[in-house]
Amino acid sequence: MGALAIKNVTKNFGDTHILKGIDIEIESGQFLILVGPSGCGKSTLMNIIAGLESPSTGEVHIGGRMVNNVAPKDRDIAMVFQSYALYPTMNVRQNIAFGMETRGVPKKEQDEIIARVAKMLQMDHLLDRKPSQLSGGQRQRVAMGRALARDPILFLFDEPLSNLDAKLRVEMRTEIKQLHHRLKTTIVYVTHDQIEAMTLGDKIAVMKDGVIQQFGSPQDIYEQPANLFVASFIGSPSMNFIPCHLAEQNGALGVSLQSEGEARFIALPQAAKLVGAVGKKVILGIRPEQFDVVIDSGDSLACKVHLTEPTGPDTMVLTQLNGVEVCARLHPRDAKGPGETVRLQPDVSKAVLFDAETEARLA
Amino acid sequence: MPKFWRGALYAALLVAALYYLLPLYVMVITSIKTMDQIRAGNLLSLPTGISFEAWGKAWSGACTGVDCSGLQPFFWNSIRMVIPAVLISTTLGALNGYVLSKWRFRGSELTFALILFGVFIPFQVVLLPMAQTLGWFGIANSIAGLVTVHVIYGLASTTLFFRNYYVSIPDELIKAARLDGAGFWRIFLRIIIPMSTPIIMVVLIWQFTQIWNDFLFGVVFSAGDSKPITVGLNNLANTSTSVKEYNVDMSAALIAALPTILVYVFAGKYFVRGLTAGAVKG
Repeated sequence: MGALAIKNVTKNFGDTHILKGIDIEIESGQFLILVGPSGCGKSTLMNIIAGLESPSTGEVHIGGRMVNNVAPKDRDIAMVFQSYALYPTMNVRQNIAFGMETRGVPKKEQDEIIARVAKMLQMDHLLDRKPSQLSGGQRQRVAMGRALARDPILFLFDEPLSNLDAKLRVEMRTEIKQLHHRLKTTIVYVTHDQIEAMTLGDKIAVMKDGVIQQFGSPQDIYEQPANLFVASFIGSPSMNFIPCHLAEQNGALGVSLQSEGEARFIALPQAAKLVGAVGKKVILGIRPEQFDVVIDSGDSLACKVHLTEPTGPDTMVLTQLNGVEVCARLHPRDAKGPGETVRLQPDVSKAVLFDAETEARLA
Repeated sequence: MPKFWRGALYAALLVAALYYLLPLYVMVITSIKTMDQIRAGNLLSLPTGISFEAWGKAWSGACTGVDCSGLQPFFWNSIRMVIPAVLISTTLGALNGYVLSKWRFRGSELTFALILFGVFIPFQVVLLPMAQTLGWFGIANSIAGLVTVHVIYGLASTTLFFRNYYVSIPDELIKAARLDGAGFWRIFLRIIIPMSTPIIMVVLIWQFTQIWNDFLFGVVFSAGDSKPITVGLNNLANTSTSVKEYNVDMSAALIAALPTILVYVFAGKYFVRGLTAGAVKG
């Protein structure tokens, strides 16, 4: 059995169902991301793994051991909190030592561990300071140090970077990833930031309304989203969702796309999976980078540029297809200014289709 | 123009300060006058010489009823009452607040609401049932009885103070400590109490003032040699002799007020700090 297994876990508060049957299993050393919008239950799930809350039904296994009735301190885990949760009246050294003290680690060993952790996180010079004398990034570091001192079989990170400014967040993200590579300890990481999810995770569980919408590798989730919610949640800028009717033309299944001034029928290579759905209302999902600028070709559409958003390496071009706003990520060289027209060809081989009513993936 | 308004502001504040300090001034100067000076001058006139005779008499010689040993025994009664009563009610209030904010249980909000209700119960309502209860416990008319009454009556407000202070301490701190292996008491003693200095000062001052200045419980639940200083002061001022000794009365009142004044002087800065703590994130 893996490092962490969650089996059919539910959590109810009266009639409110926070978690509706969660199943997750990861191998030792994997980096699991729980991602979703606020209120999706990810923090509750984290608390259940930590033992700070108990599940209404279901089982939690850590390192092959059923821990439902094991106290948080005996689960061999360490947690980093969003607010860092450093003890304000203790200095950094005491903060790190507190857990070891309660576990009865001999003083000499404590000092060795503190020295090792401080060296690993380059915070030797901070050991005698109070948390109030530290910057946000330093507090974050101390919180991680406190977790590292525990040397657990499972690390839990609860939105650890949310309180940092944008630049520091990227730096700490890299640092956490490097740390994971070095320690090879299993990590469960809760975030609402899909970029953190993509960059850090070996496995991502996308959650919404107490249900896991999809569980898979970052690439899997990005390229093969299970439903409209996952597709819209992962990726920035978000995937474009174009309402269409599935039709058959000259023996090929496809959809017609209409820009301002031009309409074209585009055959879909995923036809085999769509046979039963002809005539149905569907939603075509195309990521912004799946548009190419062409001079002229059979499947391209003349699109009027409404707005451009240069980001440096790419320029986001906003236009309209089938009456909805569509974003295309183009090379700055190809992007035209607002009011001009650009010929865009959608790469439908990677496009995904959703049922307009159930929002489930069709192909 | 701003200069003028600033001046006007200070003038207004000065008048207000004088107005409030006037009674204290009258008390202090009357207490150091002799009876002859009091008869010769008026209420506000400065003394011609300083005499602490009246202070001495108020402390150890003035008559309260038939007994003429001054306020001294009452003062020590009050000390023996106020110290345990303040310490016990503060300790229990801190524990209650800790439980009601950080270890919520089913019905904890209702419990808090009911405790809160205790803040609004007037003293007079509890007099009879309390007298009966003290009788059952066999501590009626004793200092232990007074301590019990003040602890029970003070619990509502000390709980309120601590609970509201602890609500602003993030729950994540408790979670972190639980993961570190700390239990209920260790979290309380090692994490929570060290963070509580401002609110502890507030509660200590609050309880000390309340209990020291209380007259009603003192007069109802004490007898003989267990009377607190407020009762002693009342008896001293009401014991009629041939002449009304204003200087002794004033000295006695000042002696009775002195401990609370000292507490404010030495711990007052914590009082304001504690009352506003949590209002602004540090």
